[in-house]
Amino acid sequence: MLAASLLIASFVIFAAVYLAPGNPISALSGGRALPASSIRVLEARYHLNEPFFAQYWYWLTNALHGNLGISIILRENVSTLIASRIWTTAGLVLYASVLILVFGIGMGIVAGLRPGFLDTSTLVITAISAAIPSFVAAIVLILLFSVKLGWFPALGNGTSFLSNVQHFTLPAVALAFSALAIVARVTRASIREESDREHVQTAISRGIPARQLIRRHILRNAAIPITTITGITIASLIAVAAVVETAFSLNGLGAYLVQAAESKDLAVVQGISLVLVTAFVVVNMLVDVLYALLDPRVSLGSRAQ
Amino acid sequence: MASRRGIWTAAAVAAAFALVASGCGRSAGGNAASGNISATKGLVATTAAGAKPVSSITWAVYRDVNSLDPIYAFDYPENTAISLMCESLLRQAPDGSIQPGIATLSTPSPTRLVFTLKPGVKFWDGHPVTAADVVYSLDRNTNPSLGGFYGEVFNRVSSITATGPTQVTITLKQPDYWLQGELSSMAGVVIEKSYAQAQGKNYGTPAGGIMCTGAYEFKSWKPGVGVTAVANPHYWNPKVKPLVQQILIKGAPDVSSFTSGMLTGGIQGSYSFGLPTLDQLEHSKAVSVYQGPGWSTDAFIVCSFKGALGDVRVRRALSLALNRQAIIDSVYKGAALMPKWLSNPGTFGYGKSVFDAAYAAAPYLSQNLAEAKKLVQEAHATGKTITIGTSSQLANISAVTGAYQAAAEAIGLNVVLKSVSAQNYINFFTSASARQGIDGFLTVNYGDYADPAGLLSTLDLPGGSQNYDNFNDPKLTSLLEEARSTANPDKRAALMVQAEKINNQLMPWIPDVQPTNLLLLSHNLTGAVASFAYMFAPWANSLGGKG
Repeated sequence: MLAASLLIASFVIFAAVYLAPGNPISALSGGRALPASSIRVLEARYHLNEPFFAQYWYWLTNALHGNLGISIILRENVSTLIASRIWTTAGLVLYASVLILVFGIGMGIVAGLRPGFLDTSTLVITAISAAIPSFVAAIVLILLFSVKLGWFPALGNGTSFLSNVQHFTLPAVALAFSALAIVARVTRASIREESDREHVQTAISRGIPARQLIRRHILRNAAIPITTITGITIASLIAVAAVVETAFSLNGLGAYLVQAAESKDLAVVQGISLVLVTAFVVVNMLVDVLYALLDPRVSLGSRAQ
Repeated sequence: MASRRGIWTAAAVAAAFALVASGCGRSAGGNAASGNISATKGLVATTAAGAKPVSSITWAVYRDVNSLDPIYAFDYPENTAISLMCESLLRQAPDGSIQPGIATLSTPSPTRLVFTLKPGVKFWDGHPVTAADVVYSLDRNTNPSLGGFYGEVFNRVSSITATGPTQVTITLKQPDYWLQGELSSMAGVVIEKSYAQAQGKNYGTPAGGIMCTGAYEFKSWKPGVGVTAVANPHYWNPKVKPLVQQILIKGAPDVSSFTSGMLTGGIQGSYSFGLPTLDQLEHSKAVSVYQGPGWSTDAFIVCSFKGALGDVRVRRALSLALNRQAIIDSVYKGAALMPKWLSNPGTFGYGKSVFDAAYAAAPYLSQNLAEAKKLVQEAHATGKTITIGTSSQLANISAVTGAYQAAAEAIGLNVVLKSVSAQNYINFFTSASARQGIDGFLTVNYGDYADPAGLLSTLDLPGGSQNYDNFNDPKLTSLLEEARSTANPDKRAALMVQAEKINNQLMPWIPDVQPTNLLLLSHNLTGAVASFAYMFAPWANSLGGKG
């Protein structure tokens, strides 16, 4: 499945970038009209003068041999360029995922089990924060916590693990902000739904202790929809990361993908897209595995209801 | 042909987060008067030299550096990084005058330039610079297999030969006093032959690195993180002692991120222009803002003389109707000068007394709607349509286009806007088919050295790289050709004054405003070059902490 996804994605993306207007040579020359001889040299060097399928075939055969090609703009191996950025995006998405798992699901469970003030205020807060896109959250967070209060740096990656954590905190919060709210709301709704089920009411009337009731009768059954929404949300973070990386000047893959697409640096766009598609497929596979673990009725390979 | 380039790209910086700019910026009413200061008065070309050592700073450019090879340096990030570390045969001083660089120049005849390397000039690896390195470096520009961007500037050169171990002679087909300017910029950068040959295609890339002679030495280049330069302890000129131990050149494409970086100390310095958050930075105690002479011009390129703008009266009417003060206030936040000529007065790098006297006597291109309307009526152009190429994603370009639209409509012309994406704006400069049906579009343009000819030659001369619709005025052409061959700087300046005046009458391009060069420094730093010369010559040799 992964191989098929990658092949189809690589073709579609290659074709889209190829068809998009613009020319990598003009991006290279900063917009000046280059002498015709220079253009011929550069076009031949990067196979730009060949037909579409020849270019795609050239890229594909190289990629199958593990060679992702050379960036036209930087004249550097694409795999090196990706390797130097992949940990930024991975770290950012992981950090944001932890925030979503801990605070999103945590808030949802508390709100679902404790109707009343806590529940209502969670609903109101998540309704607002679900509507705040990452780039707005980024601007507000920078203004408040770096410019006004000076608690966190406004941009860059940091050098050691601790300074990495410090540099990544605001970006991760910005990235997790609206996703966290959605996960919290879905968690709350499914817990509320499970709590009202007949078997739970029966269990209550049988006098089963609250702890066991919550763990075995409510959480276990509510876990499937929570896993689904968390999986989708985390997979989508991989794409949204581009916005946050740009806002915080982080050297991640997403921001680089946008830059490369703008300058029509085909090999880079292809390379990064493959990494992102792979990550997306892997996250979805993990969710499938989780289904099987959570619900014995689900066998691997078939989706849960 | 000496120099060219549409630097609209930097405006892309402003595009993405125009939202932030309008939210945080204040109106620049207080700066309104700056447009009326004559010539470059009030601007600083340098800042007081630094006094204290500094361990490490981050210097922002508007996007990541793409190449450190001077023959491919054609935009702000590459020029900023290369001029920090590498040196040219000649050097542009902050005031734009051309001084000896790593070599001194003598001209035994108008067609012979003899460069003699200064004693002791050596590369970072300790090897002395030889005549062979110089010849190799200059020849790379014209080597067709490399496809460098500066080949054209050598079109009057017949040979470049080593005439001694430290002497190189350039023989010209005919006198060329523009070549010295080019040899004081990227085309004249000297690199080490043996190093470059060993690196081959990798020279100037993250994998290959570079080998130059400057007071800052290349240390590393991590794509996405930046280019790191460190102080060179063995610099050939013992008078220069770099105070900053390490400079990281980092791309900060997002204006709001850049601004908060400056405000919070994540970024310690940068060069800029047309910055939407300038007010915010000027009012911050953390940042010092300097305005230096600029080499660049914000202008309207008339790319077709077939439509309404083919009539010189309509071009002049459009210029008379333009509200330039509004552009200075709203787009440049006060950091631009009201123009008199097409060239920025910052480009008066020689014959200064001649240029200054003529410039002082020249009138400002101020708004006069009554006169403009009269011209349009005389030309029977009322009701005619002009089509302007623009991009709504480029905030600065789009704002100036708006000013032109208002001007045209105020004098009875109709305006059609053809908006393209930010990435495709570049095609107006490079593709005739993109210019099809367009009467004009906007640019911020500069030459490679401080000479009005740097810009004028590209648009006024037949075959010039930015002469898009065969503009040809015999008088203007002969003045420019004569200037190119004139040795005496004052005489050359007098010829350029005449050329500017004729250019104002004919207006193949319409000058909008003259941007000043913005230098933004962390409040505890000083010593960086403040003029546009930073693009072509070392700018951090005196940079350091405040005493």
